[in-house]
Amino acid sequence: MRNRIINITIGICLVIFAVAAFIPFVYMALVSLTQKQVLDFQFAINELSLVNYFRVFKNLNILVNFRNSLIVTVSACIFNNFISAMAAYAFAKKKFPLRDKLFYLYIATLMIPGQVTLIPVFVIIKNLGLMNTYPALFLPIINAFGVFLVRQFMVGIPDDLLEAAKIDGCSDPRIFFTIVLPLVKTVLISLTIFTFITSWNDFLWPLVIASKPSMKTLTLAISALKGTYSTNYGLVMAGSTLAFLPPFLLYLSLQRMFIQGIALSGIKG
Amino acid sequence: MTRNRKEALGAFVYILPSLLLITIFAILPIVMNIFYSFHDYNIIQPPSWSGLSNYKRLINDPYIVASIKNTVIFTFITVPLQTLFALVLAALLVRRFHDKFTNFIKGALFIPVIASAVLVGTLWSIILSSHGVVNQAIELIGLEPINWLGRQSTSLLSICIATIWKNVGYFLVIFYAGILEIPTSLYEAASVDGASKWQQFIHITIPGLSSVTYLVVTLGTIWSFQIFDMVYTMTGGGPGLSTVTLVLTIYNTAFKEYSMGYASAIALLMFVFVILLSQLQRLIMRKDG
Repeated sequence: MRNRIINITIGICLVIFAVAAFIPFVYMALVSLTQKQVLDFQFAINELSLVNYFRVFKNLNILVNFRNSLIVTVSACIFNNFISAMAAYAFAKKKFPLRDKLFYLYIATLMIPGQVTLIPVFVIIKNLGLMNTYPALFLPIINAFGVFLVRQFMVGIPDDLLEAAKIDGCSDPRIFFTIVLPLVKTVLISLTIFTFITSWNDFLWPLVIASKPSMKTLTLAISALKGTYSTNYGLVMAGSTLAFLPPFLLYLSLQRMFIQGIALSGIKG
Repeated sequence: MTRNRKEALGAFVYILPSLLLITIFAILPIVMNIFYSFHDYNIIQPPSWSGLSNYKRLINDPYIVASIKNTVIFTFITVPLQTLFALVLAALLVRRFHDKFTNFIKGALFIPVIASAVLVGTLWSIILSSHGVVNQAIELIGLEPINWLGRQSTSLLSICIATIWKNVGYFLVIFYAGILEIPTSLYEAASVDGASKWQQFIHITIPGLSSVTYLVVTLGTIWSFQIFDMVYTMTGGGPGLSTVTLVLTIYNTAFKEYSMGYASAIALLMFVFVILLSQLQRLIMRKDG
């Protein structure tokens, strides 16, 4: 009996914390549907309207920002998966001189925070003539983490399997595409989720590199909205809600993989 | 060509794309960053040698002093609190609740993690604004509303609150995975010996999580040194210098004043902090076993 009371109390506490975690998002969505200047607790159902969303779409070119974020994020995911899986395959299953030293160098680069290399990467991109281009926005997002993560899983693939395929006359690229990649599908999905969230939410890099309005991403648009319409809460929250929807929907559909992915990255440290 | 050389060449083809990217976007920039830090450089004219002057400027710069001070305060508020919340919530969640309930709580607490820091900053600056919900609640109970983001004494604290709110779910998941790794036989044995849940938490869970805790603390501290998005959206560094951070100063110095050389010196200072912190973690971990 006593145990039961304790369990119920703990359960209630947990619910309170969970509500505290997501209620601000509900609030965000509610405010986005109002046109109030003072933010009180009263939200009358008949006063709610989509007018802020229409304004965001009409006046602020948010579709362009949305499209930019989508192009950058999808490209980052595809390239990161592909490039990481290729390198991981070589590091896990091939023998070549200096292999382990090179792999340590890869891991060492993970210690470099992106903010430290911000200025030189900006100079490099500028000198390559890539300012305000999509490659400039997504290529620097790719780092050695993907290689590290995918390699850990490829090491577990038995060599015999690959040898057998080779004896049967399977070419090396075919082994990579038809045997190795399907076997590490789960980790590639985790990597995709990571890349998606990092790229979609990225702020400092696009702030520096996307100076043209037509190249700005959604996070930049939100930040600009907040600066320009600081008293029009409804409008700012409508933009924020739109920016939050894609990662949130992805999260709802792949919740388990998200949480596994984080637990996985925890082991990395 | 020998078989070995052919295989090495084959492997190289697979590595080439990532090696190229890592060289261009990580290795080369670190070398360039060190080079720029000894130069005056405004992007338009070529860099000119300036010796140690950028580093001398670091010592007396009020922005740097304030950045470091704010980072230290920020770290000492956010890291212990977010670690404690995450640990306690993970320990409570591990009690045998219905799976659906556990997943709902974990899922809900994780939502702030997937939102961008810009979004969290925007959302919280509206929640904490002068007519925002927090002040409405304060007025309801008859107290004076607080200008959370506009006052030097509360601006950094406001950013701490938003950051803790955003991070707890992330570390909760790591702790939760860590607790599941602790052998259940330990708890069963303690239970047979009559240890209470609290005693089990103190004597089994906390020691069993030591390496995970180090990870969480180090990661949290390194993140503290990198804070930017939240500050940029919530306060822009103000009022006064009450919320300036190293990355904000790097950004302003490089992209507002175009002092790329000096900004590189600040970036290098930040890098040294981050390296020292992760080395410290490795040392402690090794000592621990």
